[in-house]
Amino acid sequence: MKDTWQRDVPVFNVPIWTRPFKFFCGLAGLGMILVVYREIAGLGPASGMTDAYAWGIWKTFNTMVLTGLGSGAFAIGIAAWIFNKKNLHVVMRTAVLTSFLAYAFGLCMLAIDVGRPWNFYWFFVPWHWNYHSPLLEVAVCMTVYASIPLFLENIPPILDFVYDRWPDQRPLVKKLDKVIVAGFPYVVSLAYVLPAMHQSSLGALMLLGGNRVYPLWQTPFLPLLYVWAAAFLGFAFVTTTLLFSSMMWNRALDIDVMAELNRLTMWLVGLWLVFRAIDLTLRGSILAAFRFNIFAALFWIEIAILIYGWSKLREAGNTRSPRTMFYAALLVLVGGMLYRFNPTTTAFQPKAGAFYFPSAIELLVSIGFMSLGIAIFLYAAKVLPILPGSNELARKMEAQQATQPGISGFAAAPRAGQFATGD
Amino acid sequence: MEISRRELFQKITTGGAAIAASGGISAALTGVAQAEETPQVPPHALGMLYDATLCIGCKTCVVACTQANGLTPDTRTDPLHQAPADLNNHTKTIIKLYKEADGQTSFVKQQCMHCVDPACAAACMFGGLKKDKNTGVVTWNGKYCVGCRYCEVACPYNVPKFRWEGFNPEIVKCEFCKDRLAKGQEPACTTVCPRKAVIFGLREDLLKEAKRRIAANPGKYHEDRVFGEHEGGGTQVLYLSHVPFDKIGLPQPGNESIPQKYLKWQKRLYSYLVLPAGLYAVLAGTIRKNWKDHEEHLEEEEKASGLRAQL
Ligand code: SF4
Ligand code: SF4
Ligand code: SF4
Repeated sequence: MKDTWQRDVPVFNVPIWTRPFKFFCGLAGLGMILVVYREIAGLGPASGMTDAYAWGIWKTFNTMVLTGLGSGAFAIGIAAWIFNKKNLHVVMRTAVLTSFLAYAFGLCMLAIDVGRPWNFYWFFVPWHWNYHSPLLEVAVCMTVYASIPLFLENIPPILDFVYDRWPDQRPLVKKLDKVIVAGFPYVVSLAYVLPAMHQSSLGALMLLGGNRVYPLWQTPFLPLLYVWAAAFLGFAFVTTTLLFSSMMWNRALDIDVMAELNRLTMWLVGLWLVFRAIDLTLRGSILAAFRFNIFAALFWIEIAILIYGWSKLREAGNTRSPRTMFYAALLVLVGGMLYRFNPTTTAFQPKAGAFYFPSAIELLVSIGFMSLGIAIFLYAAKVLPILPGSNELARKMEAQQATQPGISGFAAAPRAGQFATGD
Repeated sequence: MEISRRELFQKITTGGAAIAASGGISAALTGVAQAEETPQVPPHALGMLYDATLCIGCKTCVVACTQANGLTPDTRTDPLHQAPADLNNHTKTIIKLYKEADGQTSFVKQQCMHCVDPACAAACMFGGLKKDKNTGVVTWNGKYCVGCRYCEVACPYNVPKFRWEGFNPEIVKCEFCKDRLAKGQEPACTTVCPRKAVIFGLREDLLKEAKRRIAANPGKYHEDRVFGEHEGGGTQVLYLSHVPFDKIGLPQPGNESIPQKYLKWQKRLYSYLVLPAGLYAVLAGTIRKNWKDHEEHLEEEEKASGLRAQL
C-alpha cells in the first residue's frame, strides 16, 4: 500500500487487550516479581555474575546495547532538525517513544544491578563526583536526558490526546502548546548533546578494561564507534518498528520516508565500517583477525552481518521494496548489537578460565523489562497519535468514532477541524 | 599547573562570543593537554616488596591477613582448612604456586598493588575506592560505594572482590591493613612472614632495597627488573621474581597506566564542558532557524487540511 505520511494517527479499530499484549504483560509481571527476589536475595543467587565477569547482561545488554536501539530520537532527530530532512519529522514520535522506553528501562536495570543503591544520593552532590569516571558520565547524562529532553519530547502526543478527548481542556492545551513551542528548540538541542555524550561514554566504559578487552575491539576510538553505532542502530530500530507496525496493523507505508531512512542508515553503516577498518589497520590490530580463535570468528561474524546488511540496504534503496528494507534493518540491528555487546562480555577476558552465562533469573528480568517496553508501545500506539499516517486516515478515524464511540483511545472525539476554523 | 589553568580560563572568556567557533575549542584542548599531569608517586608512598625467591609458601601471611581484617576463613572448597581458590570476599591476599613442566616452581603472593594511578579509583563514581594523597594507599569506603562493580571490571590485576550474597554487599580488597596503620602498626602479613619474603616500608626505600638485591645477585632475578617500578604507571607493591612475571600472574601492561592511556581523550573532550557547551550553542542556533520553517509549514498544513497541527 502506498501512502503519504502527513501526521501521526493512533491505531484505531483494534482491541487493546490482544493476545500478544497479554503475553508481554505476563512476561513483564514475571520479571518484576523476580526483581523483588533479586533485591532480597542479593546479586549472587539471582545472577550468573562472578568476580571475573562482574557485569552481566543487565548492564551489558539492557543498558549498553538496548539504549543504542533507543538512539532513534537522537539520530533521526539530528537528521530532521539539524540537516533539515523535513519528511522525517513525521516519524519522530515513533522514535522518541521507543527511545524513551529503551532509556527508562535501561536506567531501571542499572538501578537494579547496583549492589548499594542507597548510596546514589551522592548523585545530588556534584562536588563528590569523580568527573572522570565514564560510568558517572553515563549515569548522570542518561538520567538527565531521559527525564528532561526525552520526556518532554513525548508530551505533544499526550496533549493531542487530551485535546481530542476533553474538549473543555482545549484552552489549557493551547497554553501548554505555546510553552512547548517556545522552549522546544532549546530542549531539542539538549536532546542531541546529551546522547552524543553518554552514548560515547558507554564505549568509554570498556576503555578501562584495558588490554583485557580483545584488541579487535579495544581502541581509543571505542567511544566514537559506540556513538556512531548507536546512530545507525537508532535508525534501523525505528525502521523495523515502522515496518513491523505497518504489517501488524495493516497501515499504509510512505515509501519515500522509508527510503530516506534506508538511505541514511546505509551511509551511517558504510562509513562506520570504513572507519572501523581504518582504525584496525592503523593500530595493526587487524592482524588479530587472522588468528584462528573464537575472537577472530566473532569479529568476522559481526563484520559479515554488517556488510551483508549494508548490501541489503543498498539493494533496498534501488528496489524500494519494504521487505528488503525490513531484512536490511534487521541485519544492521543484529550486527550493531553484537558490536556493542562483544567488548563487554564475549571479547572481554578478565582472566584465564573465567566464564559467564546469564542465569535464568537474569534472563527473565531482562526479558521482563523488554516486554514491558513492548507492551507500553503496543498500548500507546493505539491510544496516542504515534505512528505516521495520512490526513485521510485521520479523517477516517474521526468519521468512525462519530458513529462508533469508544473504538479506540480517542473515544468519541469531536471534530478536530474546529481548531482551524476558529473555535 | 595553576597558571596554565588561569590562562585557559582567559582563553575561554576572551573567546566568549565565538564560544562555538572551533578556535576556542582547540585552544582549550591544547591548554588542557599542556595542563595534564602524569600521575606522580605520592610523597609518603607506602609499599611492600615481595621477593618470590624467598617465599616458602607457608601461607602464614594469608592467615594473619584474615585475622587482622576480621574476615571469616574461606572453607568453601575444603571444610577443614582455609583454602580459598582465589582472591574473594573472604580473602584479601593469597599465595599461589606456579609450576612448570621442567620442575621450575615459584610461589606468588597476590593482593592489591596499590597502583600509582589506580584504574579502580578512576572507574569509581563517587570515590568508594580512593587513593590517599599522602600515603597512596587505596582504600574502600562503603559510604560512597554504590556497588556497581566497575572497579572489578577496571582493575588489571583482578583484585577487588564483591560480596555477592545478601542485600548489603561490599567490596573486599587489601587496604594495607588500614586499621593497623592507623594504630601505627605495620600490615599483618609483613609482620608475620618468617622469611621476610614480603616486607613493608616507604616505596622509595623498598625500591632501593630491591635494586640492591638485584645488584648483589646478578642473573638471579628475571630481567634484573623490579616489577612495579614503571609497569602500568607504577605500583606501590613491588615484586622480585626468578621466573617471568607473566608466569606468576602479573600482566605486562606497558608503562602507561590504564586511566592515562585510555581516558586521555575523554578528559580532554570533557574538560570544563567547553566542547559540549559549544556543541549545544551550535545546535540550538541551527534548530532555531529550522524551527521557524517547521512552524510555518505546520500552520500551512493546518489551514490546508483542517486538522490540528502536530508538533
Ligand atoms: S608468610 Fe612469607 S613465606 Fe609464608 S607464604 Fe606469606 S610471604 Fe611466603
Ligand atoms: S591493583 Fe587493582 S584494586 Fe589495587 S589499586 Fe590497582 S587497580 Fe586498584
Ligand atoms: S563497586 Fe563500589 S568501589 Fe567499586 S567502582 Fe563501584 S562504587 Fe566504586
